[in-house]
Amino acid sequence: MMQRKILVILENKPGALVRIVGLFHQRGYNIESLHVDPVSDIENYKDIEDLLNLKLKENEVSKLLITTTVSDNLLRQILRQINKLIDVLIAKEEI
Amino acid sequence: MKLAGNDMLIQSLVNEGVEYIFGYPGGAALHIYDAIFNQNELQHILVRHEQGATHAADGYARATGKPGVVLVTSGPGATNAITGIATAFMDSIPMVVISGQVASHLIGTDAFQETDMIGISRPIVKHSFTVESAEKIPQIIKEAFYIATSGRPGPVVIDIPKDTTAPDKLFDFNPPESVEIRSYNPPIEPDPKQIERAVIEILKAKKPVIYAGGGAINSNASEELFELNQLLNFPVTNTLMGLGVYPAKDERFMGMLGMHGTYQSNMAMHNADLIIAIGARFDDRITNTPDLFAPNAKIIHFDVDQSSVSKIIEANIAVFGQVKNSLIELIKQLKDKTDLINGDLIKPWLEEINKWTELHGLNHELYKENSDTNMILPQAVIQHVYNITEGKAFVTSDVGQHQMFAAQYYHFDKPRYWINSGGLGTMGFGLPSAMGVKLAYPEEEVVCITGEGSIQMCIQELSTCTQYNLPVKIININNEALGMVKQWQDMNYGGRHSESTYKSSLPNFVELVESYGHVGFKIEKNSELKTTLEKAFSIKDKLVFIDIYVDPGEHVYPMLVAPNGSLKDMWLSKDKKV
Ligand SMILES: Cc1ncc(C[n+]2csc(CCOP(=O)(O)OP(=O)(O)O)c2C)c(N)n1
Ligand SMILES: [Mg+2]
Repeated sequence: MMQRKILVILENKPGALVRIVGLFHQRGYNIESLHVDPVSDIENYKDIEDLLNLKLKENEVSKLLITTTVSDNLLRQILRQINKLIDVLIAKEEI
Repeated sequence: MKLAGNDMLIQSLVNEGVEYIFGYPGGAALHIYDAIFNQNELQHILVRHEQGATHAADGYARATGKPGVVLVTSGPGATNAITGIATAFMDSIPMVVISGQVASHLIGTDAFQETDMIGISRPIVKHSFTVESAEKIPQIIKEAFYIATSGRPGPVVIDIPKDTTAPDKLFDFNPPESVEIRSYNPPIEPDPKQIERAVIEILKAKKPVIYAGGGAINSNASEELFELNQLLNFPVTNTLMGLGVYPAKDERFMGMLGMHGTYQSNMAMHNADLIIAIGARFDDRITNTPDLFAPNAKIIHFDVDQSSVSKIIEANIAVFGQVKNSLIELIKQLKDKTDLINGDLIKPWLEEINKWTELHGLNHELYKENSDTNMILPQAVIQHVYNITEGKAFVTSDVGQHQMFAAQYYHFDKPRYWINSGGLGTMGFGLPSAMGVKLAYPEEEVVCITGEGSIQMCIQELSTCTQYNLPVKIININNEALGMVKQWQDMNYGGRHSESTYKSSLPNFVELVESYGHVGFKIEKNSELKTTLEKAFSIKDKLVFIDIYVDPGEHVYPMLVAPNGSLKDMWLSKDKKV
């Protein structure tokens, strides 16, 4: 078990954030900290744009940073479950 | 073309190919109901309880592979639909549920019949939408159907405030032809490299098992699975959700596995050196204690949902993609290597499995032995129903012992013919889901196998069957108890039957169904079982309810030993444990 940072890029739509928080709660994973912002500095997200093969527009998506303490296996499971949410563009470990 | 919100909604559903909406009206949905009145392209089926609407849509979806559609009003209408949405979610069934909502300006004011449907349903839907303005209706409907039916299917809720369906505001109706959601890209084609790795394991396996579940049915992969096994000749087991995806009549089929699976299926899984999981998710009814599960097996896991793989049992090789497409690729690669498929390698294994089957396999001729005794055995009822319907009926079931007997003794040779609530285990599912199937296939025999406990959870739908003339057969396996609960109490609680019987309070089911205009039979004697069933099944134009009093002491076996058991630890009868 160790503390991990998870980065999620999600559509800036009502209801998108609560689905992620709900997923943690429902599966019994603890959120230690959570920070969410609309992405206005898109020039800093070139790597994400390349990864997803799309162009972002200002404030169109949000960036979510979550810290949680979990094992490797559980982290993989959490990431897969977040990535499965329809409004999520990508969820990955932030190292 | 200019249309109001309510008409855009209905027209969008028609464009999606919707034939039936299962629903129940109320204030917040009345604009929509008015639009339904004014058209004749799709038919609304008025149920008697919103739970019935969801299960009926679900049954329709399971039998046809097309999404089921539900329409309910806000507040109690929406909350009544919750059990059915959760049922569809657990079994990955495509469904679109439209719930009326109070008008936008009233949301958040505790208005009459306001409830947070999006919030309540969030953990049990694949996705949900709130309609913020009428213009968005066509786009949302298109996205909802796409999400419900693609990838791993599931229910989608659309909450629609009353003002967005108002008949007096008109909009240009330009429905989208197709839809793309940039944040949603379920895998379709497998990675051929992963299949190459799978082939290597498959070619050297000495004790392989194919373990196929509901995902293989959802992906319509039945033919590919059969073709695959024409090459491999591996033993096959199906989950409760997967029954029918591989023909039960095939020599290699071992029956269901898991909690009430066959002895040979559970033993084969436990002793396997290779498990090929196809659209199955290793849930706790299958694995028993995960740490003790199949200690020597490598796992190849085919699934469309990445989060289902290595969730409970670590996979050695994961193949993500539509299971159908993955099997097509696997078959292709194997066909290039047919000279390397060595049937002799698995011969001893097939012989071992045959011995297990001979030793403790299910007795499929029980009905013959049972004919002289006084008590009717529930298993024998299923065997008679199987014989009379020649194995060709759609069978829906409720939840309990009768469900397990049906799964064990009715043999399914084709997918989508066995329709039951496997994941959530929802009592009340059987009758309304049978209605959905019958509407989809009016010429086919549709049998609901239920218990006197379960049937009373949605018995109001007998009235719907009268209204729409739905001549299904209802086989009520009447043990005058919540049999499955009682069985657990017998095995784990010293036989203390806490709140699991209600003998003196059961209705006269024959009179009850007759009051709805249906036909009822009661069978208490073994000598009457076969002839009365035959008589009941000869009636084609009416709903027939057959109330059959069975041995109340009968248990379902095999039964996995839990807690702390593995798949090889089973009760085979009340006093025999292996
Ligand atoms: C809605 C719901 N409530 C409770 C249960 C728990 N449960 C599982 S089986 C069962 C008994 C079912 O009785 P019956 O329909 O008569 O079937 P039997 O086991 O007697 O064949 C109960 C109460 C359930 N599965 N669903
Ligand atoms: Mg019962």
